[in-house]
Amino acid sequence: MIAALRVARAAAELQFREVAVSGFLLFGALVQPFFIGVMTMFMLRHRPDFDPVYVVVGAALSGLWSVLLFAGTSAISHERSLGTLELVVASPASFFVLYGGKIAGTLAFSLVSVVFSYAIGAWLFRYPITVADPVGFALSLLFALVALWATGMLFAPLGILWRAVGQFLGVLEYPIYSLSGFLFPVLLLPVWTLPVSYALPPYWAAVALHASARGEFDLPALARVWAVLLVTAVLLMLVSSRLFLAVLYRARRAGSLALT
Amino acid sequence: MNAIELHDIHRIFRTTTGTIRRHRKDVVALDGLSLEVPEGELFGLLGPNGAGKTTTIKILTTLLIPTSGTGMVLGFDVVREAKHIRKRIGFVFGGERGLYYRLSGADNLRYFAELYGVAPREIGPRVVELLGLVGLTDRADERVEGYSRGMKQRLHLARTLLHRPRVLFLDEPTIGLDPIGARELRKIVTDLHAEGTTIVLTTHYLFEADAMCQRIGVIDHGHLVALGTPSELKSNVTDLGVVELEVFGVDPAAIERLRGLDFVDSVVVEQRDLRQLVRVQTQLAEQAVAPLLAALRGSQIGRVAVREATLEDAYVRLVGRVE
Repeated sequence: MIAALRVARAAAELQFREVAVSGFLLFGALVQPFFIGVMTMFMLRHRPDFDPVYVVVGAALSGLWSVLLFAGTSAISHERSLGTLELVVASPASFFVLYGGKIAGTLAFSLVSVVFSYAIGAWLFRYPITVADPVGFALSLLFALVALWATGMLFAPLGILWRAVGQFLGVLEYPIYSLSGFLFPVLLLPVWTLPVSYALPPYWAAVALHASARGEFDLPALARVWAVLLVTAVLLMLVSSRLFLAVLYRARRAGSLALT
Repeated sequence: MNAIELHDIHRIFRTTTGTIRRHRKDVVALDGLSLEVPEGELFGLLGPNGAGKTTTIKILTTLLIPTSGTGMVLGFDVVREAKHIRKRIGFVFGGERGLYYRLSGADNLRYFAELYGVAPREIGPRVVELLGLVGLTDRADERVEGYSRGMKQRLHLARTLLHRPRVLFLDEPTIGLDPIGARELRKIVTDLHAEGTTIVLTTHYLFEADAMCQRIGVIDHGHLVALGTPSELKSNVTDLGVVELEVFGVDPAAIERLRGLDFVDSVVVEQRDLRQLVRVQTQLAEQAVAPLLAALRGSQIGRVAVREATLEDAYVRLVGRVE
């Protein structure tokens, strides 16, 4: 267990150092939440029910998700292009644990989106950005990271099988925003999409963050959301752990680990 | 005990050709390869490009699954017991890739030490020791992107030694290195072998295999065509002598004339800058010089030398061609 944690920590640290100097991911973490935050503020600020905290939380979640999606899905192709994918696969470390560390490192970096989104609301638009339930919000943010981590882990193994998968998974950026209700309630979407939203851990993360920021839920209600979030995250993690084993076996059979 | 056992290994790669009408094509990389390497041996694997050397190494390092046949490393099955093998082996693939360029050499080693489960208190001293071994102590904290090719190769070797592997696979480790860098790397490898590490080395440099390896296996078209000590392989060509002719602008027709001479065993032409080195294997080396020069009439001849056959000549006779 300790050895696995050491592998995860080393992978997280390496990934953090890689993404922190990537111009493209800095764009995802800073510029994208900036545009989304500023545009949404302008679109909604004249409405009587306008809540700047809702926009700040939504923009922050969009930044977290964008960085995770692009850095997470491109991590394997990046390893491939460096020629290190074979080396890490042929090491005794569990690739699932190693990749989990990489996703965690990506998420740690993407937290700058949260700070930046707060700055847009508080400093650029000069709204009083106050969180009604700070403890609930902090815990919700922690669980949101777990939810996003589990979602990233589900998509990552596909990069082992298909070299161009990052380009295709990029199209998931906006559907997940919408289906998870980052910036507007999912009740605005067609009814048939609701089961998909409920199956996504990021949806429950958005519910918990929005509700705790606005003080809408008491602790038992918030705890129920966290519980559903964790259950969906664990389910995704179980699926992804099986997927990792299956795709690694398939890649060894196809001889595709070294292909660039 | 055998460190490595391969029994009737076949490996087929499926590729597709065509853009609109795609056709599947099977490429046979290994065609019934069987091989045993005892523990503690420095074994050389030779063969032309595409012969199956790298495929063999990748199967033994658990990166590829054979289409059929069985492979064992230190008694563990390469398909079902990959995890046990990975703890006990190290490998280096030739070339510069396989390092994190934005990290320093020392950080690369620290990262891989974590992946290989080196005890935390041992990581620091082991990294320092290995950087010293490969002569990178002074550059340890510089980013790898600024390293020369030779430095990267040496860092690869240090990386693979972190967990003290019992079996080491080196796939063309000296490729692209300058003569001094290659000599230093060979010295490290022979020292490791002297300490008891089993080493499997693939190389295109036959003098390297001759000087370093206890036994050599020659692979061609996916199966073993020769196996023995360098002396045993060379004994296959004791009947041969070699005439080397340095020619400027050799005519293809002249080469065909050489090949047509009844006392000529084989002819290999090597391009060297503006000149060609024509290497003729024959059983009548001394007497052959005059007829060979006559066959090359019209070409500008430089140096002519007659020598005994080497491992390279044995190799050429075995695989029938040269890279």
